[in-house]
Amino acid sequence: MAKTKDELLAKLAEAVLEMEEDDVVEVANEYLEAGYEAYDGIMGGLVVGMNKASDLYDEEEYFVTDLLLCSDALYTGLDILRPHIPESESQAEKKKAVIGVVEGDTHDIGKNLVRIMMETAGFEMYDLGRDVPLNDFIDKAVEVDADLICMSTLMTTTMEGMREVVKMLDEKGLHDRIKVMVGGSPISPKFAKEIGADGYSENASEAVKLAKTLTGIA
Amino acid sequence: MPSIKVMPSGKVYEYEAGDNLLNVLLAQGIFVDNPCNGKGVCGKCRVRILDAEKINDVTETELKLLKSEELASGVRLSCLVAADGDLVVELMQKERKHKVLTSGYMPEFEFNPDIIKKAITIHKPSLEDQTPMEDQIKEQLADMGAVRIPLDVLTTACFKEGTYTAVIYEDEAGIKSLMGLEHGDTSDIIYGCAIDIGTTTVVTSLVDMTTGEELVHSSMINAQKHFGLDVLTRITYELENPEDGIAKLQTAIVDSINDMLTDVCEQAEISRDFVYQLSVGANCTMMHMLLGVDAKAIGKSPYAPIFVRARDIEAAEIGIKVANGARLYCLPSVSSYIGADIVAGAYVCELHKADENVLFIDIGTNGEIVFSDHGRLLSCSCAAGPALEGMNISSGMRAAEGAIEDVVITENGVELKVIGDQEPIGVCGSGILAVVKELVKNGFVKAGGAFLKLDKFPEGDYRLGMMEVDEAGKRAFVMTEKPEKLLITQGDVRQVQLAKGAILSGFYALIRKAGKTMEELDKVMVAGQFGAHLPADSLIGVGILPEEVRDKLVYVGNSSKTGAHMALMSKDVKREIEELAHHMDYMELGASPDYERLFAECLAFPVQK
Repeated sequence: MAKTKDELLAKLAEAVLEMEEDDVVEVANEYLEAGYEAYDGIMGGLVVGMNKASDLYDEEEYFVTDLLLCSDALYTGLDILRPHIPESESQAEKKKAVIGVVEGDTHDIGKNLVRIMMETAGFEMYDLGRDVPLNDFIDKAVEVDADLICMSTLMTTTMEGMREVVKMLDEKGLHDRIKVMVGGSPISPKFAKEIGADGYSENASEAVKLAKTLTGIA
Repeated sequence: MPSIKVMPSGKVYEYEAGDNLLNVLLAQGIFVDNPCNGKGVCGKCRVRILDAEKINDVTETELKLLKSEELASGVRLSCLVAADGDLVVELMQKERKHKVLTSGYMPEFEFNPDIIKKAITIHKPSLEDQTPMEDQIKEQLADMGAVRIPLDVLTTACFKEGTYTAVIYEDEAGIKSLMGLEHGDTSDIIYGCAIDIGTTTVVTSLVDMTTGEELVHSSMINAQKHFGLDVLTRITYELENPEDGIAKLQTAIVDSINDMLTDVCEQAEISRDFVYQLSVGANCTMMHMLLGVDAKAIGKSPYAPIFVRARDIEAAEIGIKVANGARLYCLPSVSSYIGADIVAGAYVCELHKADENVLFIDIGTNGEIVFSDHGRLLSCSCAAGPALEGMNISSGMRAAEGAIEDVVITENGVELKVIGDQEPIGVCGSGILAVVKELVKNGFVKAGGAFLKLDKFPEGDYRLGMMEVDEAGKRAFVMTEKPEKLLITQGDVRQVQLAKGAILSGFYALIRKAGKTMEELDKVMVAGQFGAHLPADSLIGVGILPEEVRDKLVYVGNSSKTGAHMALMSKDVKREIEELAHHMDYMELGASPDYERLFAECLAFPVQK
């Protein structure tokens, strides 16, 4: 018996929330075969599930790694649905953000999570990875005309790199149009303010709210 | 200049406005616990403001990190208070007695120290026999082969007949030199010290080098704590203070060692002039800081240190005051995060000679693991974070009087064991593991790490009475209400989960890399100050170690100091340790592609089905 669009969307959301990659593949294919729009499948199914996961994270029910597993399911679904979105629909104007772990640090789980949650929230993300040379943040942001630079580090020894990036941005007169947000366990609001960053967020879901505020979309 | 009165001592200090209160207090040599070194992150540098001419408003960070009762009673985080104007502050922390582990298991070995003493007789010169004193010494030492006589020994000598004792040191290349000439026959008085420099605690034992016996020991908290509790914060101090950071860190640890030397010599009633050699085990960062070598490279990817090899220098070169010409031997490291303390441990546990599969683990802020597959050594280091030492935990504290060190939960209530049988004021690492183990065992916490929702408990369940939910809906377990409420929050459980996931994933990564399984392990050796306080029930109940190894655990105590002790007593041991360090492979966990996945799997708590 064929399922309705709403039923399938709910199933997609649930599969992401329950971290079931196999289910995502099955339901996403079923959804496409039934002829429903891929774009709705993403926004009304996969992303809804990821947002629910994020809510559970806020409620302390889910943990960092749970979100990572949810995101695996999310990306599996995106890989299936995205190719079916007509060109015209995918060109919607998105805010762009460059993200990375600053030079000298290789801890990137937290950064990955922020990237995922921002992507889910509709940002176009440029992930520079970890141990990123400080110049690269600026170069990439200029190249893609980014609205935001997001930096993270887990180590006190590398946090000063963030100050450098803000300084370079100021010197090049780019800080007005490119905002900077920072995070990571040794980072505090005090530090963020001191180095001239535009905002600090404690975790991935806070980061999304902050990013929206800084780019003026919420 | 404004002044600051510090209670309870009542002392008044003048200070210059413009810096934060934490720095003002530290500058006066007043200790305020500051694990994060004033970054506004850890929430431990609490002081109570009793009176203030002017003061900045409570910051958002303080609203988050301090309890409302604390805020109401004037408690602030000193690093977030801008010191300006006259102030009266009360210190919240008392320096408390700490428990330090000093002993451990030592295998048998043969003594052949590189300090030798020999009594000689100098005869009076005459017109017929003008043999110089130097030649007389050489003649009498002829049976030892060539002995170099450095100028500085001659500059302290005066030519007088009588009995002397030559102190001879043999270096790595087998070259002997005269270290000193003592009056009288002191050939049976030879002392040395074995030292373990931990990031948190330092232990020094005085060893009678004629018998190899440890006579007395002394321990103290590493004085570098003023510059941060963990190695990264101290390295950051070097970064932030390019002019004198390295020197200050070195002075702090050298002063500590000198103080402990005074202590052990007084206890044993000997003169420190009879201490001829020190042998040091420490992690790679502590070794850099002891020798005044820049440790900054250790704190950043790709984490390449300036040196790892063993060093043998004159103790006086870094300001350690013992016998003239006394030697300081620093054990070798393998990499930035597999230090000489671990090399020493591997040696003491004879991992290089093992004819089975042995795993060695030292649990602390960093968990270091060494796997020996019949003598082939592979190591890794996992960043467990400070949670297991009581830091980053809402009610956390170090193992000192007043710290909860064990917790048992039954239907009848929560039983606490407190160090020093006092009122509980916080929970230390072993206590945190115990409580989380109990929470998992008794079904408060699910395998994923979240507290069970209150409506999921059966009605009238005893556990409901032990849980608390705050305005924001966050759940927490109440350890005690008196004298103050001590909670284990969801965040605390997560911190323990991260730490245990880091260690367990390292454990699996190492064994997989070696192509072995958990069942094939014959022995698991648990080393270190902290590990010794952790019963198998906690280690396995929290899931730091897997169930399969329960009956294979062996506790080896402070194997870093034991390794230093053995090196002190034998040049063969020194060479073998150097060989061992050279042949130990190191695996960078973050560099392995599937690590993130393995880490995620290892986060699950072992919930019994």
